[in-house]
This record gives sequence, C-alpha cells and structure tokens, in this order.
Amino acid sequence: MTELRRNIMGYCIVALGGLALLLLIIPANVPEYPGYGVPASVLPNIAAGFILILALVGLLRSLSDLRARKRHADKATSISLASLLRLLSFILPCALLMPAMSRLGFIPAGIAFMLVIQLCCRQRKPLVMTAVAVLPVLAVYAAMRFVLGVPMP
Amino acid sequence: MFETILAGFGDTLNAANLFFVFVGVTAGVIAGAIPGINGPMAIALCIPFSYYMTPVAAIGFLVGLNKGAFFGGAISGVLLNTPGTPEAAATTWDGYPLAKQGKGEKALRIALYSSVTGDAFSTLILIFVAAPLASVALYMGPPEIFALICIAMTIIAGLGTKSLVRGLIAAAAGILVGTVGIEPVSAMPRLTFGIVELERNISLIPIGIGMLALSEIILQLERQADRKDNAERISFSSLPTDRFISLREYAIYIKTLFRSSIIGTVVGALPGLGAPVASFFAYDQAVKHSPQPESFGKGNLEGIAASESANSAVVAASLIPLFTLGIPGNVASALLIGAFVIHGMIPGPLMFEHNERFIYSIYGNLLIATLFLFCVGRLGLKTFCKAVQVPAPVLYPIIIFTCVMGAYLAQYAVFDVAVMLFFTILAYFMRKFDYSIICLIIGFILAPIWETSLQQIIIASEQAPYTFLTRPVAVLLMALTFYIVIKTARNGKKSSEDKT
Repeated sequence: MTELRRNIMGYCIVALGGLALLLLIIPANVPEYPGYGVPASVLPNIAAGFILILALVGLLRSLSDLRARKRHADKATSISLASLLRLLSFILPCALLMPAMSRLGFIPAGIAFMLVIQLCCRQRKPLVMTAVAVLPVLAVYAAMRFVLGVPMP
Repeated sequence: MFETILAGFGDTLNAANLFFVFVGVTAGVIAGAIPGINGPMAIALCIPFSYYMTPVAAIGFLVGLNKGAFFGGAISGVLLNTPGTPEAAATTWDGYPLAKQGKGEKALRIALYSSVTGDAFSTLILIFVAAPLASVALYMGPPEIFALICIAMTIIAGLGTKSLVRGLIAAAAGILVGTVGIEPVSAMPRLTFGIVELERNISLIPIGIGMLALSEIILQLERQADRKDNAERISFSSLPTDRFISLREYAIYIKTLFRSSIIGTVVGALPGLGAPVASFFAYDQAVKHSPQPESFGKGNLEGIAASESANSAVVAASLIPLFTLGIPGNVASALLIGAFVIHGMIPGPLMFEHNERFIYSIYGNLLIATLFLFCVGRLGLKTFCKAVQVPAPVLYPIIIFTCVMGAYLAQYAVFDVAVMLFFTILAYFMRKFDYSIICLIIGFILAPIWETSLQQIIIASEQAPYTFLTRPVAVLLMALTFYIVIKTARNGKKSSEDKT
C-alpha cells in the first residue's frame, strides 16, 4: 500500500467514524440535558464534528493529489497482512494472561506467557528462554505479594 | 516564604527520596541506552510503581528517570550508531565516528558533561521563571485558558507532527476519549456504553503504557525482523587523551554549551517542538559558528556538546508550561500530569499557592537529579555501555510482561489491562497511518480543563454574548491559532507541490 492510498483509506475510516459518532454513538450514550449548565453532548459533538470535518478536508486533499498524479512522490508503507498477524501474536497472549492467571495461578500462567512471547520474539535458546521466563515472573510475584502487598490478579 | 523554601528543599534531602531519585536516574540512563526505549516509555511503565512512593519521591523518581533517559540515549548513539532516543540522533553524527577512532569513552564523557550543563542551566531557568509566570497566569479567566489550550494543541499538532490535519484529528480523538466517564454537570455516565468500569473515567496509565510502551515494542520487533545489524564492533583506546575530558577541553566548548542550553530551554518551554528539534537546531548553530565547520560529522566533540546540552535542557524547560499554565509541552510532561494527579496535585498556577512547599521540593529533586546524573554517569559509564548489548529477545518479553502488570497495578483492575490492549492496537494503527499519538494523549489530558472553560464561556455568554470578544488576550491567542493553522496548511501545500 502506498502512502497516498493509506492516507485516503485512513481519512475514509476516520470520516465514517466521525459520522457514526455524531449520528449514532453520541446521541445514544450521552445523558439528557438536565435543564441547567451546558448539555453533556456539547464537547463530544464538537470533537466528533471536528474529526469529521478534518477527515473530509484531508480526504479531499489526498484525492486531489491522487488526481494530480503525484504518485511518483508516493512511498510504500509497511502495512501488510504479516504485520497484522504479528500484532495479533502479541496482543492475544496479553489478553489471555489475566484470565489464565485467575485459573492457573500467577506463576504458571506468567511463565507460560513469557515462553509464548519469547517465541514470538524469535528467541530459540532453551536456557535463556527458561531463565527469562522464570526469573522476571518470580521477581514480579515477590514484589507484588511481599513488598507491595497488592491483590494478585 | 524562606521557611517554605527550606522545608521544601529539606523534603528533597530525605533519605528515601534521595534513594528514589538515584534509582530513577540510574534506571533512566539504562532505559535510554537501550535502543527503542525512551524516557516517556520508561515513565509510562514506572508510573504505577510510583503509587507506592510519597508524592515528592514519586515525582523525583519520574523526573530522574526522564533526565537519565536523555543522557542514556547518547550511549547507544555513540557506540552503535543507533540513537537510543530520537533526540540523540544528532549526537551520533560525531559520536559514532569518534567511537570508531577508539575515542568512544571520550565522546560519552563530553555527552555526559554537556547533558549535565544543559540540564542544570534549564533547571535554574525553571526555578527563576516559573513562579513569576504563574502569578501572571493566575489572572487568566476561562476565555484565556480555552484559547491557550487551542493554541497549544495547534502548535503541538502543527509542529510536532508531519500533518496538521492528522495531528488535529488525533487531538480531537484524545478530547473525545477524555469525555468518557461521569459528566461533570449532570453527574451521569457519558459515553460509557453501559460498562460500569468506564464510569470512573479512563485512567492515563493504561493509555500511556499501551500507546507509548507496548505498541512501540511491537513495532520495534517488527522493524528488527526486517533489519540487518550492520554496526561495527567498537573498541576503546586506553590512552588518557582518548578517554578523558580535561577542564581545559570543557572550557573550549563553554560558549557552545551556553548557546545550546539557551536553545534547548527556549524550545523546551514551547509546547510541541520537543528535544529532537532542539538538538538539531543547536547542532546546526554550532556548525555555523565554528571556524572548522568541515570537521563536523567526522568526530568533532563540539557537535556532541551542542546536541546533548540542547536536548537535556529541554527536560526541565518543558516543565515551565506545565507548572505555570498546567499545559504539558511534550509527552513526558503529559505523563507527569498523570503522576501529579495520582498524588493529589493539579499542575498549574494554583499549585504555587496551594502546594508551595511541594514545588520547592520538586525544584530540589531536579537539582539533585542533575547531580546524580553527573555522579552516576561518571561512575557507571562502562557498565551502562553494556546495557546496549542486551539482546531484544531477552529484553522485550520482560518489558511486555511489565506493561501488562503495570496496567493491572494502576487500579488492581483487569479492565485496565483490556483498556491498555485497546489503546495498544489503536496506537499501532495510528503509527502505521501516521497519526500522532502524542496529540491524542495531550488532548485526553487537556479535555477536562478545556470542557470546564468552554462550559464557563457558554454560561457567561447567556448573560453577555460577546464576553469572549472583550478579552484581548483570548482574542489574540485565537487569532494566533488561526494564523498557525493557515500558515502550516500553506507550508504543507507548498512542500507537497515542491515534491512534485
């Protein structure tokens, strides 16, 4: 994907988001005007309206650039399916960590998480992997349990 | 007054406080030395741990962390030709050639002394300038505050980002996120989608960790997968002239150090410009004022002195708008606002009236952190050099685990981890689509003040519709905002035409 196409796609998404905020999300999720002060919807509406207008300005500008054939100044971007999969490979273990900790316990879930994340980081040395998986988890456990005395997840 | 100053500085000299400032500076240098980790990221990760410190120690720890990271960035810049932080990029131009000549230690020493000089200079300016400016700021009413936030956001969006439009969209998105929670007038939930946890407003900690730390780490790993390591192996010369900086050598660069410190202080005090601008500008000025401009880029110590003193001067100077107006000048000071609020203080001109002793203890912390930076840098230079060699597959999993636990520790809430992951994904796409995450964070932080001043203006306008127009400062600031928007838009159009 080139920069110009990326910008056009970005502005379209943002403009649609702004429109959805103004027409659907804000009206449905803002308390009614109590009759004094300022309605609660003023600032969200200003922000969403601003987003919509700016996105349309940006979109028009990018489209005129595209029409003016400024493509030779256009660069490729690093947005690809592989990069999205890589993002998912980090987000998914992070999202599962807390539920796993409440089911399996802090230390086993923490160690499993560290092993998975290290594999995602392309660590392949078993000894280093074990040390990096165990030591930080034990250190954080000790700090949370015995030093800070906070409730464990 | 004098008693308050003494009491404030006395709080600084508390043993526990000194310990945390020391730990902050040391951790900051290590964090800065590791490529890919910067001061704001370290602050975002460490704010949850500062909960357990006293307010003075917490702010001292975080400020120390930021100061340390600014110098730490030079270590990997000099040794690996990879700046640890963006502001250290200009340092690499002369630092790395010196390291290749075996003078890496000498380059790092001048970087340290320059950092300490710039830092001390801007800290003193902050101490002498902040209180008088804050007393002036106290006369500002809602229209001036509203206009001031508008101009600050525009400057940050226009100068701190590649595209003004995308910067302003990010700032508006930040304001929108800032409106989630309990609405101040009706005390009813707003934009919470029926989620009870959102009713206590979104905390800055998960946003900061997700947007500044976790998303950055994921992108770093992505970049590393596509990059080949081509840095040469650096060896250190054992000759004293190649290792140490004499007082005479330091005195040669005093003019450059002074000029660059002024540049760093001025740039730091203006919202949005940031340390990289300061260091590049100071470097450029050093080249222009040098009798041997051709020697820059080939291992001239003066280049390092200019870059490092300017970028380190930004740290304390960026606290000037924060302390006097309550407006963060950069992302590090935006995160510091979060830390202040956690400890029951709201940065701004009123802090000089309500928390005068606390202000002086922060000043004390800033000075102590500068002193610690000098000592820690001198004693641990060789050790810090080893930090740059920690491989990413070892370091990054530990940081990711700390991110998750840090988000949880903020309020002992699993929901905050979910919020952190949401903002990680958002920041990932914002970076990919070239939207400024700094604008979003600053918009989020300024949303409550902006909303309050806007509500006050609207209510006052019901009685007198032209209230805003009767305030010359507010009108001037709004006119300046429009001027900046038009000027930046024109420049953007011109540069876009030049490309073709």
